[in-house]
Amino acid sequence: MSALVRLAVFAVFLNFAASEGCTKPEITSVSYTTQDATIVTNIAFVSEFTFRCSGLPSDVPLYAEVGGSVFPAVHIGREKYQVSWTEEVGKARSGDYKVNVYDEEGYGNLRKAIRGNYEHTSPVEPLSTVIVNHPATYQGPWVNSEFMAAVLAALVWYLAFTAKSKLLL
Amino acid sequence: MSNKNKSSFTKEEELLLQDFSRNVSTKSSALFYGNAFIVSAIPIWLFWRIHMIDIYASLLSFIVVTFISTYMVALAYKNTKFVLKHKVAVKREEAVTREVSRKLSEDKKMSKKEKDERILWKKNEVADYEATTFSIFYNNALFLALVIFISFYVLKTFTPAVYPFYYKLYDSYIHIYIYIYIYIYIYIYNYIKGT
Repeated sequence: MSALVRLAVFAVFLNFAASEGCTKPEITSVSYTTQDATIVTNIAFVSEFTFRCSGLPSDVPLYAEVGGSVFPAVHIGREKYQVSWTEEVGKARSGDYKVNVYDEEGYGNLRKAIRGNYEHTSPVEPLSTVIVNHPATYQGPWVNSEFMAAVLAALVWYLAFTAKSKLLL
Repeated sequence: MSNKNKSSFTKEEELLLQDFSRNVSTKSSALFYGNAFIVSAIPIWLFWRIHMIDIYASLLSFIVVTFISTYMVALAYKNTKFVLKHKVAVKREEAVTREVSRKLSEDKKMSKKEKDERILWKKNEVADYEATTFSIFYNNALFLALVIFISFYVLKTFTPAVYPFYYKLYDSYIHIYIYIYIYIYIYIYNYIKGT
C-alpha cells in the first residue's frame, strides 16, 4: 500500500515537473517546399527542426499543428524532428506557414479544444512555433515554347511572303 | 537536228535563252542542294530531341525522307527562283542600266551593241543572285514554319495525351508520314506556282 502511495506521489511529481518544465524552448529549423509544380499535383512541405528545452527530458514526443490539422512530428534523430504535409497545387498559397509545436500535454489540450469546438486552437499555447516559408510555385511558363516557336516561324514566313508579294506585283 | 539548231544560235541568243530557261547553273544548283539538305535535316533534331522519337529505330526512314525532301525542297527553290527572276529583272532593270551606263560612259570606243550586251549580262546576274537568295529564304521560312506548326499542333491530336511516356513505334511512323506529307505539299505548291 505504501509502495502504491509512493508511486502515485512520484507520478504526480513527474507530471508536475513536466508541465512546469519547458519555459525557454530552443528551436532551430530548416525547411523545404516544392517549388516546381510543372509535373506534380501536390506541394510538399517539410520542416526539420531541433528541439531542446531545459525543463523537458530530451527526445519527448512532439506534435505539430498547421492550419487546423494536427499530426505527430517524426522523431528522426537526437533532438531532431521532422514535420511534413502536402497541399494541392491550387490551394497552396505562398508565404509563411506557422507550424505550432506541442508536447503530449499540449496535444491533449489541443485535441480537447478541437473536440469542444473552440474557436480554432488559439486558447492552447504551443511550446514553440516554426515558420515554413513557401516562396511560390512555378507552374510552367505563361506561353508554351512550342507556341512561341510556331508564332516566330509564322512571323518570319509572313515577312517572306509579303516581300515575295511585293516582288511579284 | 537539234544539235545543228543549237550551234546556230548566236552568243546573244544563248544568253537570252539562258535568261529565260528553267535550268540553273551548276554553282546555283550546288547552293540549292546544299541548302535543301541542311534545311531538311534540321527537323530530325526536332523529332529526335523534342518529340522523343527513337532515332536509331527509325534511322532508315529519317535518311530516306531527308534525301527525298532534299530533292523536293531543291526543286521548290528552283521553281520559286524561276518565277522571281523575271520579276526581279524587270524591277532592277532601270537601276542596273543606269549604273552600267555610267561606268561605261567614259569608254568611247565601245559600240552601242556591246554596251547593251553588258547591261543585259549584268541584269541577268543581279536578277539571278537576288532570285536565288530570296527563293532560298522564302522556302526555308515556309518549310520550317510548316514543320513546327504541324509537328506540334496537328500531331498532338494523333498521339496519346501523356507525353512522351506512351510513345510507341507507330507514333513515330505517323511523324514520318507527316514529315513526308510536308515535303510533298511544299513541292506541289511550289511546282504549281512555278509553272
